[in-house]
Amino acid sequence: MPSFMMLLHGPADRPRQTASNPQEFTHMTREYMEWADRMRAQGQLKGANKLTDDAGKILRTDGGRLSTTDGPYAESKELVGGFFIISATDYADACRIAESCPHVKYGSYIEVRQVQEL
Amino acid sequence: MPAAEHELAALFRREAGSICAWLVRLLGPARLDLIEDAVQDAFSAALTQWPIEGTPQRAAAWLAVAARNKALDRLKRDMRLDSLDTQNEAAAWRLGFSNPDDTGKPDDTLALMFVACHPALAPEEQAMLTLQTVCGFSSREIARSFLSTPEAVTQRLVRAKRKIRGLGLAFEIPEGSRLGERLPGLLNAIYLLFNGGYTAAEGEPLMAQELCAEALRLATLLTQHAATATGETHALAALMCFHHARAAARTGERGDLVLLAEQDRSRWDHALIAQGFVHLRGAMSSTGLTPLHIEAGIASVHAGARRFEDTDWAALSRYYDTLLELKPTAVVRLNAAIACAYAMGPATGLTQLDALAGTARLTHYALYHAARGDLLLKLGRAAHAGDSLRRALECPVNGAERDYLTRRLLACEALAPATPAQVA
Repeated sequence: MPSFMMLLHGPADRPRQTASNPQEFTHMTREYMEWADRMRAQGQLKGANKLTDDAGKILRTDGGRLSTTDGPYAESKELVGGFFIISATDYADACRIAESCPHVKYGSYIEVRQVQEL
Repeated sequence: MPAAEHELAALFRREAGSICAWLVRLLGPARLDLIEDAVQDAFSAALTQWPIEGTPQRAAAWLAVAARNKALDRLKRDMRLDSLDTQNEAAAWRLGFSNPDDTGKPDDTLALMFVACHPALAPEEQAMLTLQTVCGFSSREIARSFLSTPEAVTQRLVRAKRKIRGLGLAFEIPEGSRLGERLPGLLNAIYLLFNGGYTAAEGEPLMAQELCAEALRLATLLTQHAATATGETHALAALMCFHHARAAARTGERGDLVLLAEQDRSRWDHALIAQGFVHLRGAMSSTGLTPLHIEAGIASVHAGARRFEDTDWAALSRYYDTLLELKPTAVVRLNAAIACAYAMGPATGLTQLDALAGTARLTHYALYHAARGDLLLKLGRAAHAGDSLRRALECPVNGAERDYLTRRLLACEALAPATPAQVA
């Protein structure tokens, strides 16, 4: 079965927002945990990771020279906060799974991309 | 303890270390305290829920998920106390993305061992923290191993974890030169754990066996990981295999001490001895010779002898000579003298022992006086032998040792009813 990557985009200032309400934040974290455990139990979740809450680094070759700069989102309002890798039959199936993810409620949007099988 | 509860305790002991290591990977060594509490909470939840709802199919995963949820609850409580702590929030997010099936990774267990045996902790704290976090012992069990109370053990563990928090450690197996600095300390801590079990003073025999088994398990884990499988690690594992193989034969039916000469060697664990020789070959891979290598070599001579009479005392004597160069301690000199007595005769051995008389470390060391008594008896000097055995009984000994010495003393007194010392 093909694999799909779910990139979880969220507002860049999320940590500041949620820290004010730990109750709600824990509830939210628990929803992610339960969703991931459910998907894993069904054999549909192949991996997951949280990324750190910063914009990361960008490496570019510029006229043969390699340059490193801060991530592209430094001034923007969006960050990829984490990712899931899931098994699905096709994009429609993958999107159906993504719809059930609590990130739909709490994040900005989910980018679904199919992993190229070699 | 009912059978079901006993089974659960055994499962918990097996899984607690893996779950703890997994959570430390997610939350960091600074939160060891919170993690240990969460693992305990999960165990308590299983104790109340499983008898009613039935044991879950994937019991280990159930415990991991429960411990993770409890960790989150505790983080939440901390967040309420300090709502601006983004560190806690990031930790909570990592829990959210975690996989409960990721428990039991050797890398995590090894990294946890390096945390628990950090040189900033006292040796006893290292042993206790290792037993709690890596081996899943309760403070009650640790207290039984260390002749302490659960409350005192808990206190020491809290202090040890506070120290760990202050150190700001990374959760990793040290690499390069840092590994070279840390590994000997870790091996030493495991060796102490093993010795604590091997010569448990007045402790419970069963608990002592488990300490040895755990120490052996940890050393074996280290030999299976590319980063830590050095010659010295193999030497330690070999040494423990050889000693632990004799565990069943060391105690008689009534829990009394059976000496090497009198042990029923068919009761030795010969599979474990074979494993010891495999590790001994692995020990050759190191460039330098350490005391551990020699001690493993000494243990291998005993383990390789079919009968006590077959013991290669000349080889033992040579090993002890080398060991004396590396580690000229009083206890090593004592053992060298005993090996010499077997290789060259009791008179020579006694001369060596007498040369050690008055050494501070040996004055109150029961084995020194017991060995002297043994040689004196062999030389037909029963009265003097009795004096030495009485001196041995005045030293700190465990119950099995006291029984053995008392039996020997009675034999001496039968041979020489009135000793010169008593007359004087």
